[in-house]
Amino acid sequence: MSTPVISVSNVTKVFDGGDNRVVALDNVTMHVDRGEMVAIMGPSGSGKSTLMTVIGLLDVPSSGRYMLDGIDTSTLDRDAQAAVRNQKIGFVFQNFNLLPRLTALQNVALPMVYGRIPPAEREARATAALVAVGLGNRLKNRPNELSGGQKQRVAIARSLVNNPEFLLADEPTGALDSRTGHEIMELFRTLNRTQGITVVVVTHDAEVGKQMDRIVSLRDGVINMDALHDYYGIATDDHGRVRTAVQEVVNVG
Amino acid sequence: MWGEQIRMAMESLRANKFRSLLTMLGIIIGSSTLVAVLSLGNALQGQVFESFIDLGTRRIGILPGDPDAAGARITSGYGLLSIKDYEALKTMTATYPDIFRVIVPEVSIKVRARAKTTEIDALVVGTGEGYQQVQSVPVEYGRFFTASESAESARVTVLGGLVVEDLFGKGPENKAAAVGQTVVINGQSLLVVGVVKAAGGPFSSDQRILVPAGTARLRIAGNQDLPGRGLQMSSILVGLKSEGKVTQAEALISQTLRDSRRLAAGAVDDFKLNSPTQSLNILKGINGAITGFIALVAGISLVVGGIGIMNIMLVAVTERTREIGVRKALGATDRDVLGQFVIEAITISLIGSLIGIGSAVALVLAIAAAAGLGMILSFPAIIISLVFALAIGVGFGYYPAKRAALLLPIEALRYE
Ligand SMILES: Nc1ncnc2c1ncn2[C@@H]1O[C@H](COP(=O)(O)OP(=O)(O)O)[C@@H](O)[C@H]1O
Ligand SMILES: [Mg+2]
Repeated sequence: MSTPVISVSNVTKVFDGGDNRVVALDNVTMHVDRGEMVAIMGPSGSGKSTLMTVIGLLDVPSSGRYMLDGIDTSTLDRDAQAAVRNQKIGFVFQNFNLLPRLTALQNVALPMVYGRIPPAEREARATAALVAVGLGNRLKNRPNELSGGQKQRVAIARSLVNNPEFLLADEPTGALDSRTGHEIMELFRTLNRTQGITVVVVTHDAEVGKQMDRIVSLRDGVINMDALHDYYGIATDDHGRVRTAVQEVVNVG
Repeated sequence: MWGEQIRMAMESLRANKFRSLLTMLGIIIGSSTLVAVLSLGNALQGQVFESFIDLGTRRIGILPGDPDAAGARITSGYGLLSIKDYEALKTMTATYPDIFRVIVPEVSIKVRARAKTTEIDALVVGTGEGYQQVQSVPVEYGRFFTASESAESARVTVLGGLVVEDLFGKGPENKAAAVGQTVVINGQSLLVVGVVKAAGGPFSSDQRILVPAGTARLRIAGNQDLPGRGLQMSSILVGLKSEGKVTQAEALISQTLRDSRRLAAGAVDDFKLNSPTQSLNILKGINGAITGFIALVAGISLVVGGIGIMNIMLVAVTERTREIGVRKALGATDRDVLGQFVIEAITISLIGSLIGIGSAVALVLAIAAAAGLGMILSFPAIIISLVFALAIGVGFGYYPAKRAALLLPIEALRYE
């Protein structure tokens, strides 16, 4: 068995705002293997986004260990963190976070700018990525000329363009209507099936969770369930036993 | 990477055109002032030099003493120069041929001069045929008067570049045609034998009518004699063999004049010596001081422009906090972000500087064309402006850029 892409061990994250001390993650342990499609679920304030910022190297845990693709992330300085974000992680955000003054092509090329890839190759790869997400005819459009679904496709193209180890998406369908949201989830599914891309999605939406293979459920910073489920909504634990329906997980969470 | 960052900087300037222009204003004004002032200052200095250059610095002017100077005796006609002084000096200079080259008087008389129907106020300067060796009088048409004309106090004259225009009209044809015509001064008809090229500047002969000293004395001055001392002279000019002899020559001239004027041992000189090195240095000093002062003002305006840039960059960093977060999430290092904002600041200051330089160049070229000054643009000033603008972009852009670079990705991304 190869090393997990994401290996979070006993990670705790405490926000210390003087009087109000918040334990956003409490001794969390989880691992994600290459090729998995994982949903991190839980109600608002349960620590999903905090876990995602730790996994995305956007923030550091208060304690515990995070191994990313075999690298102990506590050993990385700021530049090395930037390089890992650039090479190994593809971010997709709820509000897209495209740069408004850049065209779709330029937005998608941005990670390659920071990856020091020559302009000609940048353009070729960015074009290919946009074609792959079905936006081959929107290369020169700026974000304000694109629909929500199209913007999220541009963001996904951008997240893929440096061939990362995994995609990290925080509520990727949160700003989209349900049909478009479904299409975006289908895109993740296709990328996973055809290219074996590892996808971690943070969501509070049961419909989104259903479309993933595995659900990690958080509550008050603690993982209260980590289970596989089939496409029909039956969640099973590591040993394949049926634990509970996804719908219930979410309701309980 | 650099190309990308310059492109991004241009992009963000274009997105805020008016704001960028306002920000640039200080730099625009500073750069244009710097280039215009240094160019025009250089040109002025060049002119001052030119009026001296033919003579080198091998000349001493002898001027009347100042009756208000400390130690001056209060007598009528104190310190004035006369033909007696001139004669004494002429005798002395003849005995030191290895020091002195030439000596000429300047007898200045204000007159009305008439040619055909035009009549003007003018200054007649009576001098010798050696005048060209101590004054810059480039003859454009005709010739200077000769030694024999000088000796005979002939009715001839050489007209200054502006005098000839006033009397005979502008343009080369009129100037050339003036040679051979007559000018009437105090009822005396003088034949124009030469016309001096207009040189501009405060030391040229443009406004003068040059005649032999004897002609001035006998035919024009009427009685301009000093009681008991003969013809009054406004100055006496002495040309030297070499610059190295200035000190020696000044000593000889002083001694000769003191002797001929019978000054007591303790009395102050009742005349003044004036070497071009001195006046040139004074003029250069004044010009330099004025140029320096305006350049300082330009520098201050550049610094104020820099503060404007710093201000707008701080605003930009705040406005674009989210963008910075996104860039960092996508793999931008601190240095990438630092570089982006510094380059943006440099782009503002350099474009501002180029606009300023452009307008200054247009202005200077227009002035040069109007005044017939030729190529007077100061290229060092342009380089200085650009270097200054670059330094200001880096200097005032660094702090805002550093703030952007040090933002934590998570804080920046969460920023609303
Ligand atoms: N920067 C922060 N400072 C203080 N508390 C925070 C910060 N970020 C998150 N928290 C707190 O940590 C807990 C988990 O937040 P979060 O991870 O955003 O939850 P979720 O994404 O599941 O809604 C919440 O109680 C939240 O208020
Ligand atoms: Mg959240």
